[in-house]
Amino acid sequence: MSLAQRVLLTWGFTLVFLIMLVVKLDGKVQWNWFLIFLPVWVFDGILVIMMAVKMAGRCKPGYDPRNGSPDLRLRAWYLAAMLLKLGFCLTLCAKLEGLADIKLTLVCVPLWTMLLGALVELGLNIFPERREV
Amino acid sequence: MLFSLRELVQWLGFATFELFLHLAAILVFSMLVALRADMFTPTLSWWLVFVPLFAADGLSTYFTAIVSIRLYQENEKRLAVLRLLWVLTVLSLKLVCEVLLCQKLVEQEQARDLWFGLIVSPLFILLQFLMIRACRVN
Repeated sequence: MSLAQRVLLTWGFTLVFLIMLVVKLDGKVQWNWFLIFLPVWVFDGILVIMMAVKMAGRCKPGYDPRNGSPDLRLRAWYLAAMLLKLGFCLTLCAKLEGLADIKLTLVCVPLWTMLLGALVELGLNIFPERREV
Repeated sequence: MLFSLRELVQWLGFATFELFLHLAAILVFSMLVALRADMFTPTLSWWLVFVPLFAADGLSTYFTAIVSIRLYQENEKRLAVLRLLWVLTVLSLKLVCEVLLCQKLVEQEQARDLWFGLIVSPLFILLQFLMIRACRVN
């Protein structure tokens, strides 16, 4: 997928989600919270499928791991981050709908784990490990 | 994930360090919101909850000002002005949204005229700018 297509995909889903969120918060519609988060489910679903396909591609015979794509560990982290985000959104919707009586602190645990992981990854990019030559 | 870090830096126009700063601010902010909502700290004011986001905006502005001055000194005047304008636009739109949201949360009942469509409108404007910038980067 080209950069323009990826940007358009992200932009479109974000815009639709924001509009649906605003409409719900302003009380113009009485839709279910799971329906409001529909753009998030679809977008995350597309991302998880794309990542799973790429990871499965590495298992093909004759695959050259030196072709410049991120290693399996990084891809596994991306997949874990997506699942953590999905877990956060699902529990948040369940709480907002009143299906589960849990504290927001517990709901946020997957989000915090994902953010901490992202911070570590960004930190490693800012301060790269010095390698002996 | 969907974008590489290089593509994100090009598209959003922020340095990696600035992205790190904003991500850290979101982490602390979400912790404070959870603590406030669960009534572990009921006396905590909403303005205090938003402090990490305001601090990240301030630090990002300071960082951008330093980078722009350095670029200007190195005769990259056009780049310096463009970077400064872009980052200030994004940060000011973000700040307006944060302040309006905080105002709404502080005055739950009194701020009925402040509907969420109005609060999120800076983000809608920001999304349009990001789309235009994406065409340029591409």
